[in-house]
Amino acid sequence: MLKLERISKQLGSFLLSEIDLDIPGGEYFVLLGRSGSGKSQLLELIAGLSDPDSGKIWLDGEDITCRKIQERQVGLVFQDYAVFPNMTVASNIAYSLESRGFSRKNIKELVAGISGELNITGILDRTVTNLSGGELQRVALARTLVTSPKLLLLDEPMASIDASLKDDVRNSLRQLNRKGLTIVHVTHDYREAISLATMVGVIHNGRLVQTGSPHEVFSSPVNKFVARYAGIRNFFRADFFSEGGKWKARCNGNMIFSISGSDYPSNGLLIIKSDEIKIHDSVPLYPGENCIRGLVREINPSEFGVEITVDAGENFYIDVTRNEFRMLNIKESSEAWITFDPASPKFLSGS
Amino acid sequence: MVKNSLFSWIAMVLSSLVLLFIVAPLAGMFLHTGAAELLETAEDKEVIRSVWLTLWVSFAATLTFAVGAVPLAWVLARKSFPLKKIVQGIIDLPVVLPHTAAGIAILGFISRDGLLGKAAASAGITLINSPAGIALAMAFVSLPFLINSARDGFAAVPERLEKAALTLGAVRSRVFFTISLPLAWRSIVTGFIMMFARGMSEFGAVVIVAYHPMIAPVLIYERFTSFGLKYARPASVFFIIVALAFFVILRLISMGPKKAEISRDAEA
Repeated sequence: MLKLERISKQLGSFLLSEIDLDIPGGEYFVLLGRSGSGKSQLLELIAGLSDPDSGKIWLDGEDITCRKIQERQVGLVFQDYAVFPNMTVASNIAYSLESRGFSRKNIKELVAGISGELNITGILDRTVTNLSGGELQRVALARTLVTSPKLLLLDEPMASIDASLKDDVRNSLRQLNRKGLTIVHVTHDYREAISLATMVGVIHNGRLVQTGSPHEVFSSPVNKFVARYAGIRNFFRADFFSEGGKWKARCNGNMIFSISGSDYPSNGLLIIKSDEIKIHDSVPLYPGENCIRGLVREINPSEFGVEITVDAGENFYIDVTRNEFRMLNIKESSEAWITFDPASPKFLSGS
Repeated sequence: MVKNSLFSWIAMVLSSLVLLFIVAPLAGMFLHTGAAELLETAEDKEVIRSVWLTLWVSFAATLTFAVGAVPLAWVLARKSFPLKKIVQGIIDLPVVLPHTAAGIAILGFISRDGLLGKAAASAGITLINSPAGIALAMAFVSLPFLINSARDGFAAVPERLEKAALTLGAVRSRVFFTISLPLAWRSIVTGFIMMFARGMSEFGAVVIVAYHPMIAPVLIYERFTSFGLKYARPASVFFIIVALAFFVILRLISMGPKKAEISRDAEA
């Protein structure tokens, strides 16, 4: 469907470097990256708003690298939507049809059809200056989808809408994808990727550092940057050594724990997901291979319940539900024991 | 209520002095002109002919030069090219030139030996001492007002809107006429009014290019040097009243319905 081949583009001092990407038809691809990482520039290259310095862009097997922007059959919905403030909603939607020379009758039918699908029939005659964020987004989507593009590009579509509307938008986007529309969605929020993506890519400093299914990317991040994006906060620089046929990691000089797997290098970076670490208010009855004593430094409310920070020579961040927290007899500065399976620490190969 | 500080009082006093400096001479001129004198001037055919000539020539000059000035403003707002700053400086040049010097430059350009003058002469048109020559002199000194205002207007249109129009299949010219121009319209009209007003009030450049036919500023000068202040004053007041009326009408037209404003959403 969409294939990028060694795409590079110099933008001032910023370089979008050798981007290779292959997105099959019908996928919902979420490109994650911080602001300034090059993700919006990549969308503009795909849409044809700028030309790459080198590389090729293929859409449905056709080389569209040099094709005119108007002939690409790629729809782009901008962050903040870019609806035309000097036109009504209906004129905004009709704009692309008029640009392509559709007849008046056709335009009327198509505008009515898409506005019905996106539930904006009631606002067709309104000017866009006083529409809500959600309405503006639906107008921008309608305007883009009315010409049935092969590929839909979305630039931070959730960034400017109220939290209460995000579920509706997510549902609309899922439905569009289920109907077979291939979507490329760029965002800085990994939760959007988890909730929508069938494929994920992470871009950092103009380089695409990892692509794959959400499970692959978030459970096996290739480096610390991707791991941070996956919401992982437990990073440990460790020396690895084998003892009695089992591999161990030594962090911060004296904290040692077991790790599964084999053939580790002499040192590197380990990650442990917060929800894979258990916390206890006393020495556990069945401590397993990895049981470490520490002091509770901080207890903070988190999205999933409560996040507890335990200092055991290195800081461990542990997520527990509110119910689990109520059962624990711990407070800040109290002693706590943490346990985790040797399979939980993951070695970051790019570290 | 917040008390005014000493600084605020000083600022207000200084502001009042500046305003008084602008208002006092004009008010004095109006107060020294009786209704009878004004009515007599309003019936003076020479004055009416001169004011009418000033208005239509300035309007025609503004309209004609807008055809090139508006696209130039768009280029300055949207395109990067070598020596852009020098081009911008050249556009502002007429504002800093002494206007009589500008008149001399224009005269050289439109006289029978000049580039434009030769071309016009070959078509049987004389530019010196003609409305066309006056229009060129007016345009020369007033063009920066239109170009700069229109450029600022185009620059204030979010580029994202133009990009969105391109992705929606519009060709560049359609983007210009349906998005850029309507959204920059207010600034363009403001620049148009400024250029028109500036052209209308031009004396120095015009008097060198065309003493006759007499535009209003030249007529006022001629009456002053020939007959003195008493005779020049009613013509000045009459011209100011007509010019102000035109200015207000154009402003009201340009304000129009408030629909083409750029929303905060679109700007973000």
